Amino acid sequence: MHDATQSTQLLTEIARSGWHFLPETALTIALLLVVLVDASRARWRGSVCQVLTLLALASAFALRIADRATSDTIWFHMLTRDPLGAFFSALVLGAAFLVVASFTFRNSRELAGLGPGEFYALMLAATLSSLLLISANDLAMLYLALEMLSLSSYILVAYFKGDRMSNEASLKYLLFGAASTGAMLYGLSLFYGLTGTTRLGEIQRALAAGLSDANALTLYVAVVFVVAGFGFKTAAVPFHFWCPDAYEGAPTPVTAYLSVVPKAAGFAILTRFFFVGLSTPLGSEWQLAPSVHWPALLMLISALTMTVGNVAALTQTNMKRLLAYSSIAHAGYVLMGVVALSENGARGVMVYLFAYLLMNLGAFLVVLLVHKHEGTFDLRDYPGLIRRSPLLTATMSVFVLSLMGIPPLVGFVGKLYVFGAVIEKGPSYYWFAVVGALNAALAAFYYARILKAMIIDDESESEAAPKPVIRLALYDRAWLTLFAAANLTPLLLWGPVDVWARSALSLYTGR
Amino acid sequence: MIGLSHYLILSAALFCLGLLGLLTRRNAVHVLMSIELILNSANVNLVAFSRYGSGGLAGQLFAVFVIVIAAAEVAVALAIVLTLYRIKRTPNLDQASTLRG
Repeated sequence: MHDATQSTQLLTEIARSGWHFLPETALTIALLLVVLVDASRARWRGSVCQVLTLLALASAFALRIADRATSDTIWFHMLTRDPLGAFFSALVLGAAFLVVASFTFRNSRELAGLGPGEFYALMLAATLSSLLLISANDLAMLYLALEMLSLSSYILVAYFKGDRMSNEASLKYLLFGAASTGAMLYGLSLFYGLTGTTRLGEIQRALAAGLSDANALTLYVAVVFVVAGFGFKTAAVPFHFWCPDAYEGAPTPVTAYLSVVPKAAGFAILTRFFFVGLSTPLGSEWQLAPSVHWPALLMLISALTMTVGNVAALTQTNMKRLLAYSSIAHAGYVLMGVVALSENGARGVMVYLFAYLLMNLGAFLVVLLVHKHEGTFDLRDYPGLIRRSPLLTATMSVFVLSLMGIPPLVGFVGKLYVFGAVIEKGPSYYWFAVVGALNAALAAFYYARILKAMIIDDESESEAAPKPVIRLALYDRAWLTLFAAANLTPLLLWGPVDVWARSALSLYTGR
Repeated sequence: MIGLSHYLILSAALFCLGLLGLLTRRNAVHVLMSIELILNSANVNLVAFSRYGSGGLAGQLFAVFVIVIAAAEVAVALAIVLTLYRIKRTPNLDQASTLRG
């Protein structure tokens, strides 16, 4: 009799979990189908794979949005379904959709001639693992999803099989990743030892009960180790060394994907880990778990991240490297929101990542199109772009101004939210906001350099014939306009985004 | 008697050895072996905490997953090291320096 009720409970849990797990299931099915279609070796397999991928991403997006109000755990407390997870999942799925739709084999000179099936399959695998990472509720699940995301990213970076740069970039990425996630795993094992559980909610309850002094020290060491893993995924200093190399060596569509999706997933799990595992919700604020003061540590990392990223970007001439360092700096700004440890801080993280997605993907699309038509990633080849392609120049200006944080573009709104959240915390946080503001000024310098190169600088006179005018395909023009228009959302329809970010603030803090 | 602290000392030693190898070795395969040491130090921790602590079987299950992940990671890593070896004819990491700046 007892066994019968137990197995009924088991079946109910599985049925319930399977229902909430539909977005991930859709991606898994599409992943298998893409591999099968690719094995057919038919000539049309590339487009079929792309359509399948887009369909899967769109349906997963719709399913996740439909399920956004749930706040519970599934699969025996392994994963959560909560509004915050829904926001980040939608962000990740949307970014993956945009990358697959606008950066394709059709307009990338680098990907031409390479197999399409593996590319889409790996994209789907990376997106699937990002979803799992975003909703992980157990240390084992967290580590598994993190490694799955890393492994698919390593292979994507090494996508040019015989290319020296691509493979070198991937090896550096891999060794860095393996070392930092290894350290993270050591930290996670200490967490398990200190609290006797691998579930985030139970860790928080065990820590709230208090630790002895010796154990408090161990806890601090464990937090430092765990931050190494998160720092690697979000490319925060001092775990950022792989980032410029991987971004430069990888094909541009992969770079665009890597600059947004793993970063967003990394910040989602960082927020979840620190807000659920190491703090207690208290009204609209969070209270720190006793015996570990992690905001000080993250504050230091955040200040270092933006400074190092911006200073290193000053001297770059390769556009992919420049955007890599700029993305490191942006990770520093996003971290400000986590440090604030408040509802406004969490909202800052969400809004900033949303803004970052729109401006960064747009900038990478311009870089990709310039490379397609002129075969160069070098900023020194950009002069005269305004004559050769007014549309590329105009849209790039929008993205660059948005990255700079100029109102009324979306990048400004992102900065407004995170800086506001930090200043709100009181005088002891003011220096931190000042560091952020100084960095924004520093960043304006190298972003302005891109504008100057495109608009003001003359084309070099030494060339006999002036470079021909760039003729963009209709499809590319449409995407450029769309991204540029999206950067103007604050003017048109900021309301819905803000309302969603507000309603998505609830984190599942139970078991 | 062998107790929890012995296992923790062993795992800390393994972790430090792995870290040392990671920082000093120049051969890509040696670096990968050092990473294996780091992962296994965490495994020793997990299993020891599971045996002596209050955590139940969760730690041992975690360790099994880690072993699988480590195997997958090495498979990908060796594939990339091999491709790079075909291009450059050396497993030495110092010579993987085309990308800088």
